[in-house]
Amino acid sequence: MPAERDGDEHAVTAELLSANHAAATAAALAGRANRAGRGFGGGVYPITPQSECIELLCRQEIEKGRIVRVESEHSAMAVCMGFSLAGARAFTASSSNGLAYMAENVFAAAMYRLPIVMMAVNRTLGPPWNIWVDHGDTLMLRDSGWIQFYCEDNQEVLDTILLAYRLAEDARVLLPALVCQDAFVLSHTMAQTEVPDQAAVDRFLPPLDLPHRLRDRAVTVGGLDLPHETEVHRRQLEDALRRVPSVHAECQTAFEQVFGRRPADAVVPYRMEDARIAVVSMGTTAATVRRAVDEARAGGQPVGGLRVRMFRPFPELQLAHALAGIERIAVLDRDISLGHGGVLWSELRGAAPRGALVQNYVLGLGGGDIRPEHVSWVIDDLRARCAAGAPEMMEVA
Amino acid sequence: MEIRLHGRGGQGGVTCAKILATTYARLGKHVQTFGDYAGERSGAPVRAYTRVEDRPITNRNKVYRPDHLIVLDQNLLGADTIEGLRTGGDLLLNTPRPMEELNGQFPAYRLAAVDATAIARRHGIGTRSVVIVNTTIAGAFARLREIPLPVLEAAYRALGLLSNFPAAREAYEAVQVRQATDACAAPAAGTAPAARPPVEPVEAHVESPPTGLRTGTWSSQRPRYVEHLAPCNAWCPAGNDVVGFVQAVAVRGEEAAAAVLAKSSPLPGTCGRVCPAPCMEGCNRAEYDGAVNIRGIERWISDHAPAPSRAAPAGLRPLSIAVVGGGPAGLAAAHSLALLGHRARVFEGERELGGILVTGIPAYRLPRDVVRREVARILDLGVEARCGEFLSAERLREIAREHDGLVLATGLQAPRPAGVRGDHLAGVEQGIAFLHRVNLGEGARLEGRVVVLGGGNTAMDCARSALRLGAARVTVAYRRTRQEMPAIREEIEEAEREGVEILLQRQPVGFRGNGRLQSVDLAEVDMGEPDASGRRRPVVTARVASLACDRALLALGQSADRGFLPPGWELRGQQVFEDGRPLPAFAAGDFATGDGTVAHAIGSGRRAATLLLRALGRELELFERPERSLAVPATDIRFDHFERRAAAPDRHVGESVHAGSFGEVALGLPDGLESHRCFSCGHCTHCDTCLVYCPEGVVRRAGPDYDLDYAYCKGCGICVHECPRSGMEMSTP
Repeated sequence: MPAERDGDEHAVTAELLSANHAAATAAALAGRANRAGRGFGGGVYPITPQSECIELLCRQEIEKGRIVRVESEHSAMAVCMGFSLAGARAFTASSSNGLAYMAENVFAAAMYRLPIVMMAVNRTLGPPWNIWVDHGDTLMLRDSGWIQFYCEDNQEVLDTILLAYRLAEDARVLLPALVCQDAFVLSHTMAQTEVPDQAAVDRFLPPLDLPHRLRDRAVTVGGLDLPHETEVHRRQLEDALRRVPSVHAECQTAFEQVFGRRPADAVVPYRMEDARIAVVSMGTTAATVRRAVDEARAGGQPVGGLRVRMFRPFPELQLAHALAGIERIAVLDRDISLGHGGVLWSELRGAAPRGALVQNYVLGLGGGDIRPEHVSWVIDDLRARCAAGAPEMMEVA
Repeated sequence: MEIRLHGRGGQGGVTCAKILATTYARLGKHVQTFGDYAGERSGAPVRAYTRVEDRPITNRNKVYRPDHLIVLDQNLLGADTIEGLRTGGDLLLNTPRPMEELNGQFPAYRLAAVDATAIARRHGIGTRSVVIVNTTIAGAFARLREIPLPVLEAAYRALGLLSNFPAAREAYEAVQVRQATDACAAPAAGTAPAARPPVEPVEAHVESPPTGLRTGTWSSQRPRYVEHLAPCNAWCPAGNDVVGFVQAVAVRGEEAAAAVLAKSSPLPGTCGRVCPAPCMEGCNRAEYDGAVNIRGIERWISDHAPAPSRAAPAGLRPLSIAVVGGGPAGLAAAHSLALLGHRARVFEGERELGGILVTGIPAYRLPRDVVRREVARILDLGVEARCGEFLSAERLREIAREHDGLVLATGLQAPRPAGVRGDHLAGVEQGIAFLHRVNLGEGARLEGRVVVLGGGNTAMDCARSALRLGAARVTVAYRRTRQEMPAIREEIEEAEREGVEILLQRQPVGFRGNGRLQSVDLAEVDMGEPDASGRRRPVVTARVASLACDRALLALGQSADRGFLPPGWELRGQQVFEDGRPLPAFAAGDFATGDGTVAHAIGSGRRAATLLLRALGRELELFERPERSLAVPATDIRFDHFERRAAAPDRHVGESVHAGSFGEVALGLPDGLESHRCFSCGHCTHCDTCLVYCPEGVVRRAGPDYDLDYAYCKGCGICVHECPRSGMEMSTP
């Protein structure tokens, strides 16, 4: 049980929260922290399995805060853009087909350089309808210019939303950030979660000062770009995303100073020190991978696990560093880019050491429960291969 | 420690798992809890999980090797339910079966049984249609794991479930436990998961919806169509099928409605005018936009339908019954007897049948031709009338000998005297004697000021009749307050509208005059403590004022005159005894009960008829008035299914009363449309709400009724919950 540090300036309380409620709690804390600035707001539209998050958020008392219940996800993001352009801290949450419907404005938010934070519960895209986890919905938005985080547990969801605001609002970045969590495995699972007090959050998140916010002069936002202007704007976006890793490191340190714990890196290694085989994954699958790695290590196999926590900007350097010397790499994708293979695998191949065997395993689509046995089978299969083959589509459900 | 729960959507398994997690968190453990989502439609088998560890939990998988198992519905218990359960682990079962019946089963586990459904139902946990057991069974589990009750209670408080804690405590006390008896009996650990259904190619799906999923196996409860007691039926003293005739006029017309009425009441035209209508007091629509004008509907039917035709019943030898008294109770008894094929002969002292309907109730309220029409229809059934003879004790004995049985319904013949100084003065008269004279055409003109003493319907009838006979001024003096006046509210309002003055909290303490009445002394009355009847006791004060008047009419109540009974006869309950031996003779109406309304008299007459026939050895159902508490309460009516519409009021003639005019004042309803406002409480109207709302599409039209396909009904209770009128219920199959 996490200790309560009475009298400590980092005082926290551990509450039994679902990750949906952890996200809403974090958003409310971040929102209140901007009360000395231009307040907080968001447009929200419910969708399973995100609804509990916005339901709790709508019940929060937030000084200078306003949650607008709209008729669609497309409008939800539009409302967030309005809040953000006016200088408020903005939040929304969605999932799956809701994100697909929102997509046009998701891109717009990044193009407008608005530091909106969105929580996404990863849910399989339909039809046929399926409400359980896979990562295809948010990976669909990988080219939108948003920063993307994939979380592993309830605490990380809460912490990452706070961290994402600081990162997104940094003047060197000014980009929206997406904080993803696995449907039900996190969103509806209750676990003890440390909730920081408002004073600590206030220290971590100073009032937002958006340099291009609307003021007393009328401007056109998002008018027309000619070819050369577009070339420049795209380069600016790309440069901003490239600056994220170093700013992220600063944010991690600042977070640790205020809250007493350090958020995880963009890439999280597990028993990789002397490994020759690596199993790479995202989200809660990584926790399952750790249990399989422990078992393989107990059997004398040099296996390590690698979790990709930040998917955009893609942590190519960190991955290349972590994978140096690895001979065989299993990439577990809870998604598929149809006609090609797993999205993580497709991107990671460029960061793998020359000559390494990189095999893709697509598993846990539509919410199939990925168990340690499945990962052990992957490790055995990987060890037995002479060469990589086509992505292996597994059935685990 | 890993706990797995098996339940059905709607039983609250996820909340139960949450309660356990919260409880262990309070004990300082790391916890994690989650459910299976999306399959949790009502009735579908669902699972929920709780993990409890001393260290932070990293496992994000479902629970495949539970240490303990909780099963919320015993019908879910099967090999795949207990799969993976640790040998020696707890298997907690919600079941009504006692432990002795379960003893040989599941020897590998510590078996625990509790009837959480019964406990939860007793504590009223759940919805109107479905009992919810989650918060109850968590108490039993706490007992198994030796969790202290105060810790459990704190968890309930934290989750806002404290109101459910008494049920949990009861389950904590009630759970029965049997130790594991045979560790080897457990299924081998690590058995392969059950074969998965094949994923069929898209082109294989040609049926819509797939018929393979027999969701009927999910149900622990089933809906069915069932008639519930409508409050109007429960409240009607005559025992009329009120909802039956109101619905009949709405759907099938006046003639059909008249046929429904004719089964129970010989006097619908009368009741449709003078009944105080307790049915309207009980009407659930009163809680919404005003009670249905049932009295007006009854009058509409009676005045607009032809005489109902009846087939003569065949059967046993008809009995010959003498009915003494031709008022409403006697007529109802004779009517009942005739409908059952017996010969009833009514003895009436007046010149015509009707009793109080012709001698007491003035014609402006109840026109004589209405009474004559109803009497004629009773006689058409074969009832014989003998009028014009008041019976002596000797004659009564003779009549009893000449018939198989006797019904005594002579009403209340003995008016209560004022019992104060001067009540013998000329000009002081009993109200019923006055009404009797007036109604039988012997009335004279009145002059000057008339004081009526009393607050019941007789007092109102006296006052309004007096006005019509030319009295210059009519004053009613009543000893209690207006709320306590026994007269029908509309009668009081009508009287005042016609110009009658009402003096409240006044009691006559003396009459003054020189041979002839000149004034009445009225003492003011204070209201004291409530008496046994719940009414406040009047306390007569010394504040007395004299009211000049020319005539005083006493309407202080009547009592039964039993003086005409032969010596040795006495009434015990409704039956007559002679020297301690029961006679085939029963009393009815005011003579037996003194309840005082036509509707009560009808109910009493019907009951006397059935009591008598049973005493004479005939097998038939005793007429009983239904228990009011069993009626559908307004809270079980879905008001939102009904459009708001005010009740149609009765029409009235103009306000002025012409001296000497005894023409009918109330004109009733202009049509039968008021019947469409009836909710039809507890009685299906085939409105299709169940059919429309059923998420499974298992409700189908079958002729005029519905068929429920239980093979696919998963027992969600939505049809029962949505039924606008409580015409369905959930029951255990």
